[in-house]
Amino acid sequence: MKRIAACLLLTAAASAAHAASVTLPVLVPLTGFLAVEGASQRNGAILALSTPPAGVTAKYDVSDTGVSPEVAVNALERAAGDKPIAVVAPMLGTQMLAMLPVAMEQKIPLLTISGTAAITRQGNPYIFRFFPDDATTKIAQVRFALENKGVKKPAVIYQTTAYGQSGHAEIVNALKKAGIVPVYEEALDVAVKDMAPVLAKARAAGADSLIVHLHGGPSALLLKAAAASGLGLPIIAGSGLSQPSTINLLEPAELAGVCAETSSSPVSAESPAMQGFLDAYRRKFNADPDGFALAQYDGTMMALEAVAKGATTPAALTQALSSGSYAGLAMTYKSNGRGDMAHSAVIICYDGKSRIPKVVAHYTNAAAD
Amino acid sequence: MRRADAMLLLCVAAYGAYAFAAGSSYTLRVFSVAGIYALAAIGYQFIFGQAGALSLSQGVFMGVGAYASGILALRFGLGFDAALPFSVGVPVLLALAVAVPVLHLRTHYFALATLIISQMVLLVAVEWQGLTGGANGIGGIGGITILGMPIRAGWPLAATVWVCVALGAALSAWLMRGRAGHAYAVLREHPAVAGAIGLDGGRMRLAAFVLSAAFAGFAGSLYVHVIRVISPDVLGFPVMVTLLTIVMIGGRLGVAGAVAGAVLVIELPEWFRPLREYTLLVYGAILLLVVVAAPGGLVGALRLLLPDRAPPAPPALAASPALAELSGLAALSGASGLLLEIDGLARHFGGVRALGGVSLGLRAGEVLGLIGPNGSGKTTLVNCVTGLVAPDAGRVRFAGADITGLRADRVAHAGIARTFQTVALVDDMTVLDSVAIARPRTDFATARAQAMTLLDRLGVADIAQRRCGGLAYGLRRRVEIARALALQPRLLLLDEPAAGLNETEQADLSRRLRGLAADGAALLVIEHNMAFLAPLADRMACLDAGVLIAQGTPAEVQGDARVIEAYLGRPAAVSRPA
Repeated sequence: MKRIAACLLLTAAASAAHAASVTLPVLVPLTGFLAVEGASQRNGAILALSTPPAGVTAKYDVSDTGVSPEVAVNALERAAGDKPIAVVAPMLGTQMLAMLPVAMEQKIPLLTISGTAAITRQGNPYIFRFFPDDATTKIAQVRFALENKGVKKPAVIYQTTAYGQSGHAEIVNALKKAGIVPVYEEALDVAVKDMAPVLAKARAAGADSLIVHLHGGPSALLLKAAAASGLGLPIIAGSGLSQPSTINLLEPAELAGVCAETSSSPVSAESPAMQGFLDAYRRKFNADPDGFALAQYDGTMMALEAVAKGATTPAALTQALSSGSYAGLAMTYKSNGRGDMAHSAVIICYDGKSRIPKVVAHYTNAAAD
Repeated sequence: MRRADAMLLLCVAAYGAYAFAAGSSYTLRVFSVAGIYALAAIGYQFIFGQAGALSLSQGVFMGVGAYASGILALRFGLGFDAALPFSVGVPVLLALAVAVPVLHLRTHYFALATLIISQMVLLVAVEWQGLTGGANGIGGIGGITILGMPIRAGWPLAATVWVCVALGAALSAWLMRGRAGHAYAVLREHPAVAGAIGLDGGRMRLAAFVLSAAFAGFAGSLYVHVIRVISPDVLGFPVMVTLLTIVMIGGRLGVAGAVAGAVLVIELPEWFRPLREYTLLVYGAILLLVVVAAPGGLVGALRLLLPDRAPPAPPALAASPALAELSGLAALSGASGLLLEIDGLARHFGGVRALGGVSLGLRAGEVLGLIGPNGSGKTTLVNCVTGLVAPDAGRVRFAGADITGLRADRVAHAGIARTFQTVALVDDMTVLDSVAIARPRTDFATARAQAMTLLDRLGVADIAQRRCGGLAYGLRRRVEIARALALQPRLLLLDEPAAGLNETEQADLSRRLRGLAADGAALLVIEHNMAFLAPLADRMACLDAGVLIAQGTPAEVQGDARVIEAYLGRPAAVSRPA
């Protein structure tokens, strides 16, 4: 009897060691110009938080950070009051830059999918980015353009936003390293709706292709204009085109032959595990996931796995994320010492018959090559 | 300070005490951000509230201050305090540069111009990536340091911000005390009157614009060291909308309105955060409710609920200077013997001829009645003489000096005062202050004492403490005349002074005007009421369709066939059968 009781006590003690209840608030932009992408980020995080590893209970609140740095900082300060183990932080770079000092003061790890290069270059140990930075994705985009499409005289069309400027710099840099100077470059405001003029100018400049780095909506407008005008040039787009919400704006024929870079393409369901994620996401949110959703899912799940393994304090989690690696659905994540966890990008292409793209190329550690 | 304003500030202080007592870094941070917006809103009240000009560049001035301080911190290691002269100075310089092309614009033209300039600055910030970091902005800006001492987040930061707010509020209140506040009230409510009583509206608007920019720059400097990142967001239109909302909710006037508005507008979304997706809906509904229910903002609504017990007592009449001592209405004429010489004055509005070459003269101590049917050009004539409208042709000489096209305030300082067809007084000002504000080059206490003399002269000294908004029409007329007299004019132009007065009031006014003429002032009186004008005027002149058709004694003009025809029309020719 004594032995049974001792066994029960030991079992209970062992269970207590592995069972953990953590708070992991989700602070994402749900209003403003990043509302669509922010919703994907939220959904990815929620899917992970609602299906945590065994022994882990995750409490979370979702807060809208809008697009203003001060609202994001206020949200983080508010969340800090609940003693979170980490925070799912917004994908907007300027918000992340504002949140970093607070994370440093409060010693809270931030799990984000922001692509802005600068956020992991501030020497802050609490930032963990689960989305490849612009250097990784843009190098993949340029390499694919040069190696697979034989591009020699590209036109580069980008957005005047932070996303656009950051990506543009990496594209031009990657082209320069290959000895190529764009024959035409134009920055477009997000309010520009008529893409015919920019296409005409690119063609007049003698471009043999378009390397595009626009947000989702403008990407769709550009492709519609290109199809309508019979442009006939290869188009290698940015991750804006990989979002289902963007693809739904286009007819499959308008996508024929168009390729785009992205971190991952969950709708392509390359593996059974990815198919499982796709099905779960569709069941829960009645929508298709994009690369942002999967990246945030993977990032959140990596944190929860670390909690399950005993990293139940922010400090322990920070240490675990900094030093460990995690085989996620999209890729394997490991910090480069600055908090950049994702180092892979894929190229997807559309066949003109379906809105589901095919993954045609993987690039891992492209930036380091 | 008015009771309502004090009550609002007490509420904010109580909330501040709660924030400090609660001590959570979140509560204190939000309270700090509210303080920063309060400072920018106090500045915004100068141009939008006091000067009454809807500027849409206040957000950009705040952003420019933030960029100046942030860039100096990152590139040159300057702390908050060392960079402060630049973060205030750069927006001020921008305001001065902007003022030249846009400050003379009115209403929506001014708003649009300032909005365009804001967009231009935003574009520069986005495109000048080498300096500003472009659309990504720049992170890694340090917190506030004062004399090398870092101010920690939490209560030290909140206290620092709110000390700055208190200093800004005190400075604003000091700048707008007494004469300046009343002068801006006149400029805001009746811009034409401001010029007519000698106020330089252009200079006042410029001062308000520059002050707005300075306060915004100060706020921006605090902002960048609290948020610790600069990005084009701080130059974006949402910041401007937030500031506009703050002063609309809090009140365009009075620092209490700016402070309470800022706390409410910044804190409300945080208070409603538990409502999740309904937060913005509830927030918007509350703001809409306040705007609809309290168009004057919280300050305006509270001032109605908590009226001041009694305005400050007016100076004793016995202590006021005698009129002769005050007015000095010395007769002064030009070489021709005429005080006012109008020669061939012409003015067109598009295709309409308002004045077609009118020539008139007026001697010191003379009362000239100017009559004519509606639209004959009487008011345009007065507007041309007083600088409100520039004539197309002709000359105006006053006391021998050419004043043609002179700005209204300079005409007023030259010794010409006027009243308006529709009485133009500021409803919220007391009778005494309404008159005192027109006293030139005197301290305001002296001006108020002198105003009492003038009010007494017009028989309205007993209502000196009442606010103009509640006065009967006849009393308002007399207050307006007293205000005109406060300029010590040698020529007084009265536009339908008897309109709306009963017979007793007309007789009383006529007697008082005669008294002014007897003191040496020349009076030009526009009037339709012949029973009032004929006994008052020494001479009369009649305009019709912008042309002088008759002048002479009242009897001569009233009997002139052209005058009768102008008023009654040409008799129809009756044809009789042969």
